[in-house]
Amino acid sequence: MHSDKKLTKEDTWRPEDLRRYVREGGQGDDRARRRDGSERKHRGGESTERRHRDPEKESRQERDKHRERESTRERRDEDRKDRYVEQRKEGSRDRRGDKERDRRDERDKEKEKRKERDGLVDGKRYSDDYGGNKDRKRDREDRHDRKRDEERHRDKEKDRVRDRERRNREDGDKGREERDKERRKEERDRVHRTERERRRHEDSGDAGRDRIEMYDREQRERHRERERLKDNREDKRTDKERRERHEDRKHSEQKEERGKEYREEHRRHKEERERRHKEGGCDDQKPKHDSDSRVHRDVKRSGEEEKHRLGNRERGDKDKQRERRHREDEDPERKPRDRQHREEEEDPERNHRDKKSVSDQSNKPETTTVKSEVVDEEVVDQEYEDDFEDYEEDFEEMDPSENEGEDEKESEEFPQEGGEREEVTTQKKKEIEAIQRAMNEENERVGTDQSIQSTRREEEDEPKLSRGHEKNHSRASQRGKFIDFVAAKQREFSKKVATKQKKRSTELLRLIDLDFSMTVSLLDLPPVNEYDMYIRTFGTANTKQAYVQCNEDNADRDIQTEEIEVCEKWTQHPPEHSGACGDSNLSQEAQGRNMNETNFDSQRLAAFLHSASQVLVVLLEEDQAERKSLSKLRTQKDTLSFSDGSLQLNTKLPFLYDRPISLVYFSQVQRHTMMSVHAPTTKPSAVRLDSCTIICIWNIWEPSRPQKILVYESEVQCCCFSPGKAILVFAGTSAGSVVLWDLREETSNHYRLNIGEEEWTFRQPTFSTNAVMAASGHFSSVSSVEVVPSTAAGGLRPEVPLLASEEESSGLSFQLASLDESGVLNFWVVVELPKANEAGSPTDLGLRPGGKVKLLHSSSLLTAERVSQRDAVKTGPLQTLHLKFLPSDSNHFFIGTNMGLVNHGTSHSLKATPKFYRFQEAGVRPVDVNSIHFSPFRQNMFLVGCGDGSIRLHTVSQEQPVAEWRDSTAGEPVVSLQWAHTRPTVFCVLDAASNLHVWDLLKKDTEPVVTERISADRVTAMAVFGDSGKQNTYSGIALVHESGKIEMQYFTRDFTVTIPAEEEKLETMMTEAF
Amino acid sequence: MESSDTYLIRPHHQHKFKPAIVKECIREIVREQLSGVQYDPEEVPQLSRTLADSVKEKVKNAGFERYKLVVQVVIGEQRGQGVKMSSRCLWDADTDNYAEDVYMNDSLFCLVAVFGSYYY
Repeated sequence: MHSDKKLTKEDTWRPEDLRRYVREGGQGDDRARRRDGSERKHRGGESTERRHRDPEKESRQERDKHRERESTRERRDEDRKDRYVEQRKEGSRDRRGDKERDRRDERDKEKEKRKERDGLVDGKRYSDDYGGNKDRKRDREDRHDRKRDEERHRDKEKDRVRDRERRNREDGDKGREERDKERRKEERDRVHRTERERRRHEDSGDAGRDRIEMYDREQRERHRERERLKDNREDKRTDKERRERHEDRKHSEQKEERGKEYREEHRRHKEERERRHKEGGCDDQKPKHDSDSRVHRDVKRSGEEEKHRLGNRERGDKDKQRERRHREDEDPERKPRDRQHREEEEDPERNHRDKKSVSDQSNKPETTTVKSEVVDEEVVDQEYEDDFEDYEEDFEEMDPSENEGEDEKESEEFPQEGGEREEVTTQKKKEIEAIQRAMNEENERVGTDQSIQSTRREEEDEPKLSRGHEKNHSRASQRGKFIDFVAAKQREFSKKVATKQKKRSTELLRLIDLDFSMTVSLLDLPPVNEYDMYIRTFGTANTKQAYVQCNEDNADRDIQTEEIEVCEKWTQHPPEHSGACGDSNLSQEAQGRNMNETNFDSQRLAAFLHSASQVLVVLLEEDQAERKSLSKLRTQKDTLSFSDGSLQLNTKLPFLYDRPISLVYFSQVQRHTMMSVHAPTTKPSAVRLDSCTIICIWNIWEPSRPQKILVYESEVQCCCFSPGKAILVFAGTSAGSVVLWDLREETSNHYRLNIGEEEWTFRQPTFSTNAVMAASGHFSSVSSVEVVPSTAAGGLRPEVPLLASEEESSGLSFQLASLDESGVLNFWVVVELPKANEAGSPTDLGLRPGGKVKLLHSSSLLTAERVSQRDAVKTGPLQTLHLKFLPSDSNHFFIGTNMGLVNHGTSHSLKATPKFYRFQEAGVRPVDVNSIHFSPFRQNMFLVGCGDGSIRLHTVSQEQPVAEWRDSTAGEPVVSLQWAHTRPTVFCVLDAASNLHVWDLLKKDTEPVVTERISADRVTAMAVFGDSGKQNTYSGIALVHESGKIEMQYFTRDFTVTIPAEEEKLETMMTEAF
Repeated sequence: MESSDTYLIRPHHQHKFKPAIVKECIREIVREQLSGVQYDPEEVPQLSRTLADSVKEKVKNAGFERYKLVVQVVIGEQRGQGVKMSSRCLWDADTDNYAEDVYMNDSLFCLVAVFGSYYY
């Protein structure tokens, strides 16, 4: 057995060889190695077969054991010898490393030789075999085996090639023929080796190409074949494979021996068969074939074609052999026998040749090579494995050298076939067909078992491709172990299943895509934080979740408050009327409300209308009166020289009818207010107020009717207004009482009387001292009542009207003085009660129910007695007739008496100088002082009018008069005397003869400037009016006629317009007089 | 000679593994067996085993032919810890699928995952 492993070689080689190898190694190394591969390929066939057979040989193991070893050794030796022979032969060759090829060549030659020798040897060999020449026999066997192995292997290839060729014959025929020729030539040249070498080099390219082609086809074929087999008998095969493998491993050590054994037996069978064959003759085909082969042999070609065919058959044989092995050789079948017979034909050759080679080589010492059995065996084993590997490598490696090696084989094959085809194409076809038929028949007959067995070999190939190494190890390790069949079976079964599944998976995986892309999150439970944990464990212990939702259907939190109301308002500044603000909607309402308010304020309206009506009435009456007076003045112009016009008050009232007017009095402050005192009449009238005195309060601008009407039962002697505003009226009566009227009292509280068509209100006095204050009252008729001027006003000009407010506040706290005829002077304090008592006061009996003003007696003073004590003897009792207070000092009062003197006194018993004012001539005479009047401009000067008609002008400081006019009235008593309010030097005097004298001291200080005699209707009283502060034209004089008519005469301009020198005139008069 | 095996590499539509149905199965069983159960480390192993078995039986009867079923049941105690589970499969996404459902009560959580792998 040739091995490419250097070590092995070196181990087994003899020193000479080694030396030579070393020398030549450089050249032939590569090639050698490659060729080794190719050789191994051939070997592979052998070993596989052998191994397949191994299991079946077990039975014979025992028997052949000891022989086996020897035979193995010997076979090996022989092999080596062969090799050595070859090598020696090749020694002369150029390419010595090319051992393998050379050896093959040699073998070819040997075959040839064998053929030649066949005839001679046969007989000898038989005898040898049977004669027990073991050595020779062994040799022969060995040779035969090896050859057969090679053949078998080659056959396998060729089988495939043939199949393919059959298909592609048309295409490749010509080329092949050419090639065949070449090859034939080549082979011929092989005898002359040097030549051939050269040629091979030339052909290598060509052949290489062919070889590649062939190789490809082979590959394909083989693959197909394998596939088919696999598919068909997959299951069986796997089974057997495993079993085989198992067995292989177990018996790997004995393979060699078994192989030998088998071969031996085989040989025996063959020989037998040969004999039989010879005896019984051959089939039709066989002789033909033989002849063919012989023809080939004649062309010096080794029986490659034949071998090929044989190989083909051999495969079948092997199957059958396996079968046969069970049946033992006693029951051989016909066909195998035939074939074997055919083989036998060769065998003698081989044997012969073997013998020859053996004889050649046997001369040389062998012992050295056989160093140890074990080593050899191991080597063999390894070689087996290597063979299998290399077998595959053969087809994979496409080296030129290899190709060369193959080339040779091909060249061996094709020439035979080509030649055949050329000569006997039809014949060959028939032959092939026959062979095929036979094969099919065999296959059918053999059935599954055979087919399984046949496939086994191929199966063996496959697994070994992948498991070569593995097996190698396992086989080596398992050597000598105990064989456990049960475990093996189990293992085999499980392996079967596994392979089945594996196959399934491989097939399915082609169809299915597995993916690994998706990662699925199955559970993601986040950790609970501490607070939640706490709440979960403890939070629900004592808590309860509650909530309140107002406006439940409206859960949105943003709009839980009510809508803000918006409206428009307007306002105005300053707010002039009630509608100072409002809006568009409510303006109507507001207006309506305002209307209602105005409607409701009827009282205010009434008040307004009342005052307004008064004003209107005054205005209307003024206007009317003016027109009347003017017309009258025109008519009366000639009568009154000083008069600028006149106005008549309407005194033609029913209750004033036939009443003489005793007094006319103007208010000091309200210059237009005048009162007239109508004395009771003696004549009966319709009105039952006959015995009563009626006082009428007039507004001179409203002459049509009196403002107020006051009544009192007794005769009023004197009267006066309150200071300031004319709201109170005081009067002194002849019965000695002092009465008071409050003009502010309501008209409803007084007695109203319808006279004619008009209703008149007659006011009773608010307060009366009559019989109430008997002790402190007057016991005689009151001659004069006079308001004591206030001290505050004392320093001021008396003409200046006090302010209304002052009057209101202070006006009701003033003193009143009343003087009766007996000279008793009483002072009274006027008190206004804060609240009126409608039921009447229990203490103040003089007070009228509902009245608010009363008089308190302050002090009493007797003025007349002193005077009377002095003068009582001469003149009788003194009568005090008239009372006046000094306007500048209220403590000084002046009393006119009936003795023609004016007494001067003070209220606080102070000494008053002079004590009295007298006439210019000394002495007292019984003359009444009728009138005293202080000048409004010079308050220390006053005029005194006496009953004898004399007029005196006094100053306060002098007892004697400044001037005295005795006969200005022609002896008539002076009734009234008054200063004019607008001119300081003008005064009017009325005497009892109804003559009115107007004096103007500036013009004429001796006699009056104007003297008017009113004779038709006598003037009984007169009063001067006018405002000294205002220089208006309305100053005049009121004249009361006897008929009861009141006539207002306006002064002409001469008597109203102030002349600057007037006061100086008075001054000079005073200084001239003293 | 060459005969190729025929493979049914896709399930019929009506036999296909439908996660929704399986999920419903799981839910039903888990609700039934775990409602009101308190975690007990002694019992949980047995409980999870029986649960897996019953789920498997139920899903088997749901008619997913040629499906190999893998039922995984995980029961853990619920103490506020974080748990994260995920799975990864090498499979044919066209045929294979899975369904899972989680059940939780106050004391435990239970995850049941059923993987259905088609057998060709």
